[in-house]
Amino acid sequence: MMKKSEILSCLKANKNISAYELNILDKDSRELFYVLDHLEINRAVKVETISIKVYVNDKKSTGTSSVVVTAADDAKSLSAKLSKAVSRAKAAKNPYYPLAEKKENLKDLAKTKKDLNEVATKVAKAVFKANVYKNGWINSTEIFVSNFKEEFINSNGVDHVSESFKIEIECIPTWSNKKEEFELYKFYESNKTDYKKISEEIDEILNLAKARSAAKTLKDVKMPEDVKVLVKNDMLESIVRNFAGDLNYRSSFMHDNHYNKGDKLSDTKFDLTMKGQIAGCSASRRFDSHGTALGSVKLISEGVVKNTYGDVQFGYYNKEAKITGNLPLAQIKAEGTDYKHKPHLIIENFSSPQLESDSGYWGGEVRLARYYDGKKYIPLTGFSISGNIYEDIKNVEFSKEETTTSRYKGPKYMIFKGVKIS
Amino acid sequence: MLDKYLKSRIPDAEKLVEDLSKQFDYVSVLGTCVNTKAIRVSTRINSLDEVDNECGFVIKVYKDGRYSEYSCNDIKGLKAATVKNAVKLDEVYSAEFKVRMLEEEEHKEDFLREDPSKLSNKQIIEKLSAVKDELHKKEARLINVNAAYVKRQVSKIFVSKKKRLTQKYDWINVMLSTVVREGDNIKSNYSAQGEADSTLALDKFAKEAEDVLNIAVKMLNAKPVKPGKYTIITDPSISGLIAHEAFGHGVEMDMFVKNRAKAIDFVGKYVASPLVDMYDGAASCLSAASYFFDDDGIEAHSTQIIKKGILQTGISDSLSAMELGTEPTGNGRRQDYQRKVYTRMTNTWFGPGNDKYEDMIKSVKHGYLLCQTNNGMEDPKNWQIQCTASYGLEIKDGEFTGEMIAPVVISGYVIDLLSSISMVSDKVKIHGSGMCGKGHKEWVYVSDGGPYLKAEAKLG
Repeated sequence: MMKKSEILSCLKANKNISAYELNILDKDSRELFYVLDHLEINRAVKVETISIKVYVNDKKSTGTSSVVVTAADDAKSLSAKLSKAVSRAKAAKNPYYPLAEKKENLKDLAKTKKDLNEVATKVAKAVFKANVYKNGWINSTEIFVSNFKEEFINSNGVDHVSESFKIEIECIPTWSNKKEEFELYKFYESNKTDYKKISEEIDEILNLAKARSAAKTLKDVKMPEDVKVLVKNDMLESIVRNFAGDLNYRSSFMHDNHYNKGDKLSDTKFDLTMKGQIAGCSASRRFDSHGTALGSVKLISEGVVKNTYGDVQFGYYNKEAKITGNLPLAQIKAEGTDYKHKPHLIIENFSSPQLESDSGYWGGEVRLARYYDGKKYIPLTGFSISGNIYEDIKNVEFSKEETTTSRYKGPKYMIFKGVKIS
Repeated sequence: MLDKYLKSRIPDAEKLVEDLSKQFDYVSVLGTCVNTKAIRVSTRINSLDEVDNECGFVIKVYKDGRYSEYSCNDIKGLKAATVKNAVKLDEVYSAEFKVRMLEEEEHKEDFLREDPSKLSNKQIIEKLSAVKDELHKKEARLINVNAAYVKRQVSKIFVSKKKRLTQKYDWINVMLSTVVREGDNIKSNYSAQGEADSTLALDKFAKEAEDVLNIAVKMLNAKPVKPGKYTIITDPSISGLIAHEAFGHGVEMDMFVKNRAKAIDFVGKYVASPLVDMYDGAASCLSAASYFFDDDGIEAHSTQIIKKGILQTGISDSLSAMELGTEPTGNGRRQDYQRKVYTRMTNTWFGPGNDKYEDMIKSVKHGYLLCQTNNGMEDPKNWQIQCTASYGLEIKDGEFTGEMIAPVVISGYVIDLLSSISMVSDKVKIHGSGMCGKGHKEWVYVSDGGPYLKAEAKLG
């Protein structure tokens, strides 16, 4: 691959380029793929991905075009690619916007590089430590352990570098009730080597598979029509992402947002803050893809929209005084509700959580839920829930229990009333 | 023509295979270069970019009952020792298990299929802009039109001791989305064309544009469906979605190896109405997943999965086929050169029947014509299905009432749904514009489709 200095020389040599952004991502990973507890294949990935965005500006307009630098490129071929990119940029003009300004160049380097083979092996041991049941087992497992180094440079002098580490595990647990086998899906992501937590998470999903194997249907329980429905994990994150997306600068520029500053989104007094970094969130970032340094901004305060957020392009278009950058993480703070002593329905696992941002439709087919009838939890399967999130958010409640995932920190459950169950 | 750089690396791949073969029992090198041009014209933002381009190599080796892979940017000067050290595992958790070695037959061939239209960027932008401007003239409530042309040019080489294959193929997608707004009521609708010829794709895009807008406007008054069981007629896109989610994922044979698919127990048995035929394969039709050889170096196949309602066979990558003692079907696909091969669908579709569409509508006492794929999710182990249609049109006593529901989620047990199919139309349409994940990752380009189907289903 071309060196950074050679790429920068090519960019500076093309006088038609008004400005540029250069992203370089190094990935070094080890991957283990298991069928049951047999290692079927192991993989090593050592690659560099380089992308350039060239800007062709005049006073009123900005044209941009992206170029990917590959191992096939040398100075001659890259110069030719950049000339073509200039032509493309001139053909697709948008209103002018500036690049991120140089303030502080961020250097976020790892103190020690993880030995990927060693970590991958320990992760595998932690996964299979939970594989101890007679009627339940881990059917397949994929483990990805990666070191990343990301560099961002722009022609305004911004020069950031960041190193990160990530463990990802995809695990399919199965449980047999002797008549039939039932499976669920688990995806775990973390930037910490917490092997105990990995074993606990795998044990939890195995036990949820066990619950699915014993699950009843809606017909088998007498559920009050106004039962509170608790959602977590993927669905909770989809809902949070939907509101965050609506409050992104881009949505108001595109005129497809549902809310503006000052709008009351909910009668429930909760706060939603977007952040660049949260301890324990593996998607934490110091800067966004335009090089804007990331801090935090409170979008919703006590149920009312206070701010919006987003990248330099749409922030400039919307005449935002302080452009936040595209913040990847969400944090919710709310007073927790005591739901545990009344009947409630916890949705543990959807086939695929659905949320359509235009109409607000949300729901999906439920693979496993647990219904609390006032005395005990009963596992349920084979039904769907649906609602309209823009209505249902108005009287949402939150659990006292908290959780931290790759992109979210806050109450473990969102609690809804009036959701259709069928 | 095959990407020049990739072509220049064939001798390096051959040398690497030779060197690594001294230490490993099987070696292959897959080289990939994908160049994608994306032109987007919209009401507010335009772009003309190279996106999702990739260029790199993956080396697969086998020794002592285990496969290993190494993904890298380049193989020129790559030492055998570098690959060996990268995939070496000093200590790894694994039960005693040996995977068998791939057996290959001699095959050396070059394949080519290129876009016959040579349109300039300016010509494409003009065609996209004309549609966008025309739609804005027609409807004041239209807040956004997004028109996009995406051309993927895929070059691949596959080199092993017995194989030396090259392929270059193009695929063009042209997409249109329209967003309409009435106060806080926002609705959107889209269409997507997939063709091997840019001119054809852009012509179809222009022809369907007005309908796309009209449906978006109509969706402003759409109501949610009252959950329950209904007679449904599925349009070809929803038929394709059902084929894909209900049975496509269920017969991916890497799932058979993992005992993750119920289908393994149903080969030779009825899984659908006797009216149902179903196919998959890169060679089964010309569409988004019509490559010439897969990422294992296996030539494209056409596989009949269901014949007259009876499950015939699954689809497989090389490794799964070897594990199961079957023949690979050319369904080994990677998201990109950095990722592993899995058994993946290609072009998946239901075959035609003998019914006329008009007769099918007339036969419905009360139900819905379900249209436009939104998304879906598989459950190959327990055969639950979830497919979402963007909208449905109400039918009463064989006539459309003018009422629309949106969106519509179809759910239930796969066999119940497929067994309830009672009419199948005589024309098939394939939609060559989809992407498919395995679980929640590993995205590849796919197509699906079929005829109109009449069935009974739970809607919510």
